[in-house]
Amino acid sequence: MSALDRLKGWEIMMLALLCAIVALNSIWSPYFLSVGNIVNLFQLSIEKSIVALTMALVIIGGEIDLSVASVMGLAACVMAWTFHEGAPMPLAILLALAAGVLAGLNNAFWIARVGLPSLAVTLAGLIGYRGVARIFLEDRAIGGFPDWFNTLGQQALIGPLTAAILIFFLLFILFAIILHGSAFGRLVYVVGSNVQAARYSGVRVGLVKSALFVGSAFVAALAGILYAARLGSVRGDMAEGFELDVITAVLLGGVSIFGGKGNLVGVGLSLLVILNLRNGMGLADITGNTQNNVIGGLLILSVLIPNMWQDLRDKWKGRET
Amino acid sequence: MNWLKRRVRPEQIRELSLLVLIVAAIAIFGSFIDGYYSFRTFNRIASSVAIITVVAVGQTLVVLTRNIDLSVGSIVGFTAYFVGTLIANHNGINPLLAVVIATALGAALGVVNGLIVAWGRVPAVVVTLGTLAIYRGVLVDLSGAKTVTTDSLPEWLTGLPLVNLTPIGNLDIRPLFVLALVIVVIFQFGTTYLSFARRFYAIGSNPEAAQLVGLPTKGIVFLAFVICGALAGLGGFMFLVRFGNITVEAGRGLELSVVAAVVVGGVNIFGGSGTVSGAMLGAVMIGTLEQSLFRLGISEFWLDAVLGLLILLAVGSDAVILQRLRALWGGAELKLVTKKAGSVSGEQSAPRP
Amino acid sequence: MRKLLMGAAALALLAALPQRALADDAMATPGKAVSMVLLPKFLGILPFDQAHNGAEEAAKELKNPTPLQFLGPTPQNSVAGQIEIVTNATTQGVKAIMISNNSGDQIVPAAKAAQAKGIKVVTWDSPIPSSEGEDVFVAQVDFSDIGKVMADMTLSITGPGGGKFAVLSASPDAANQNAWIAAMKTALKDPKYAKLNLVDTVYGNDESEKSYTQAQALVDKYPDLKVIMAPTSVGIVAAAKALQDEKLCDKVKISGLGLPSEMLAYTKNGCAPEFALWSFVDLGYLTYYTAYLLATDAMKAEEGAKFKAGRMGEFTITKDPTRAKGLRVLMGPFTVYNKDNVEAAAK
Repeated sequence: MSALDRLKGWEIMMLALLCAIVALNSIWSPYFLSVGNIVNLFQLSIEKSIVALTMALVIIGGEIDLSVASVMGLAACVMAWTFHEGAPMPLAILLALAAGVLAGLNNAFWIARVGLPSLAVTLAGLIGYRGVARIFLEDRAIGGFPDWFNTLGQQALIGPLTAAILIFFLLFILFAIILHGSAFGRLVYVVGSNVQAARYSGVRVGLVKSALFVGSAFVAALAGILYAARLGSVRGDMAEGFELDVITAVLLGGVSIFGGKGNLVGVGLSLLVILNLRNGMGLADITGNTQNNVIGGLLILSVLIPNMWQDLRDKWKGRET
Repeated sequence: MNWLKRRVRPEQIRELSLLVLIVAAIAIFGSFIDGYYSFRTFNRIASSVAIITVVAVGQTLVVLTRNIDLSVGSIVGFTAYFVGTLIANHNGINPLLAVVIATALGAALGVVNGLIVAWGRVPAVVVTLGTLAIYRGVLVDLSGAKTVTTDSLPEWLTGLPLVNLTPIGNLDIRPLFVLALVIVVIFQFGTTYLSFARRFYAIGSNPEAAQLVGLPTKGIVFLAFVICGALAGLGGFMFLVRFGNITVEAGRGLELSVVAAVVVGGVNIFGGSGTVSGAMLGAVMIGTLEQSLFRLGISEFWLDAVLGLLILLAVGSDAVILQRLRALWGGAELKLVTKKAGSVSGEQSAPRP
Repeated sequence: MRKLLMGAAALALLAALPQRALADDAMATPGKAVSMVLLPKFLGILPFDQAHNGAEEAAKELKNPTPLQFLGPTPQNSVAGQIEIVTNATTQGVKAIMISNNSGDQIVPAAKAAQAKGIKVVTWDSPIPSSEGEDVFVAQVDFSDIGKVMADMTLSITGPGGGKFAVLSASPDAANQNAWIAAMKTALKDPKYAKLNLVDTVYGNDESEKSYTQAQALVDKYPDLKVIMAPTSVGIVAAAKALQDEKLCDKVKISGLGLPSEMLAYTKNGCAPEFALWSFVDLGYLTYYTAYLLATDAMKAEEGAKFKAGRMGEFTITKDPTRAKGLRVLMGPFTVYNKDNVEAAAK
């Protein structure tokens, strides 16, 4: 089974799963198929979904970024603090994005320049950036953002879709083009599959990796700002623990943890599967704990079952010859 | 010097460099904090890293084989809670039996991980992310949200952290620390001298070669996860002893500290190199930083930022030192070969674990 | 004869008047099917289970045919989880949401959306700080009183000589703990507490491990610390164990808010000579009654509304003096536990 076949197989599996879940949800709860609920379905985890897009690129590139959730929190705290200190909101937002870029540059320096493993660096970042966020906000919560900001985060912008949902779709298309249709995207795959070969071929591996980490942090900062707008208030512990959900979504999307394999369509489908599953379970009053069980089981089975199926098919083939 | 360079490899010196870093950190803290050089500080750090160290030993074995076990936090919580509940309901239970049960329970959870990774051929990250959620979820579902409280536990359990094993003056060596040390020593000797243990390294450095040579790769990986689970179970028992009060959230986030200890301790995350004692030193480094920063008077809210930076510096300087050492070794090897041209064979210049 | 007839007519008239006009209190009409959700900060700790029991007790008394939904997030995902549950409950069109708010003002958009749909939002144990999106807050005790009690217990433990003490709180973002600590700091300004010196406030995040190590760090940093005040049921137990393990129970005492069943051993051995709490069962019971009355339109959430809550008696909705805006129902006294009454309470 060639890599392409396997990937297509993955998408088909995800699609089938999605249809099954949507069908079940509609049966379980009469509220599921309403426009309001579908919007909620996305809105409740929209920031994680946005970050999953760049996480997919990072993992395909053979690395990992554990610090995304802390960068989300950091950006939100920077924005809230500067706004509270009197800066106009647009400036506060810019500073928040700048903070994200700085964090990304920091990650890129230690990983691409010094050559430390990304797991170690972004683990330190997970702890450190959250710490910096705490320095700004300590034990306060800051709210009272301008109305336009809150409205942008909470109310629909075009039709029933909120700004965050629109941004998600735009970024999805953007990153799909980058990953699958541009030279940079090809470089990401090359660096992810065989970094040594890439180096010897003259690929500027350091630059590619730096771009990935800066991009990842920037998008995380953006997601943090959107999260603050949706919630209307910022605390030091915002988005704590989100990285696990993001990585789960990416892995469930068929992206290989070893790099070099996977595509954005799979990730998009896996996001849909997870969002629908959580929403359906939520409407059926199933607790978050059980939801985690189900998603965890799904993650394992999504790889285990195809493997076992593959084994069975090989055995049958063996018998025939 | 040349003899030294022939006998010892850079990676082994790495542990020494980490030790130097730890001593340096302690010296710096000591100069700022009054009364830092006391047995109490030693005890404080020793107790807090004991549990992480034991779990990190197991994690090291898994990481050596080019895998990772993210479910250790959930295993620790699971075993701590269940053994705690068991002891609370049967106060007369034999302490050693309790330890065995905890370890066996952890091993059973490790078996599940190992089976799916080794024979299901599912990447370890995927499996253990899944079991991290599932083990925790099962714990919450089965526990009925009760808490294990210290007054339901027998005296020997709650009093265990207080037992002082050395009657020498103020020196306070506590059982948990001794247990951690014993585990580290056992596994360090095991991985260094047992030829069986070399297989872990072999599989991690080159899985395909290991398979071609005929090593039972699946069995070894499976074993790594079982041992890791068993040690996490033991860690769960230690957790119960130390904290007494166990909620269903016990051990949440522990995997982060364990991976940090392993990484800082110089165990290569891509497998094939690193030692158990390195992981212990990594845990000690992080534990020292955590325990001492607060006493420096740094505001509560600055602690994590500083900790993150220091971890980065620790890993960074470690890597730089290793690079220098390798260059040194490489240069020496070359000189050696050209000197005794023809009579020297089998000297490899590439570092090997 | 005429007078008699007039008297009889007057009596008949009086008897014909509806009962309501005579009694001020709103009374709950049992048997109405009202879908309600009880949403604690997170699932898995005893206080919230106790609140659940109290609410179920009220549900049984009120004979509500629709079962109470007890939903909560994991501690890890408390804020996002609470927001999700409120949003989903709004979609399902429940009649009332009773939330112990762990999300500060971040829950406001979701709470307001619920109110817009006609859902009654009743907070308990921990309110929405800005009170937006909230109909009324059922307060277990007066928050400024907690401050005073904490200061009193500290003084009682240190004795008139006073001394240094520190606070071990939950999460730095926990609205109720922050309010209590602020109230305590205000109370400490009274010259009666002049000899008490609050040296530090640290956070244990409601995690046993973190609270344990924070307690140890406190005694390391402040060798002459006399009291650790922990207004969190998780923190107080962990800190007590830490002191016990350090054999410091003679020098340093622990106090704060804790469950008698969990603190029993430590009160008996002197580590925690005094601590306080209220009944979470009663809090759940009262919250259910309040929400039921509001959801069945038996009363409105406005200042001065009086109502009867089953076995707990009469209550009035008042302005909440501890917040800038907002209404509250004040439940009532709390109990200070010491070695005399803790054993009985622990059963």
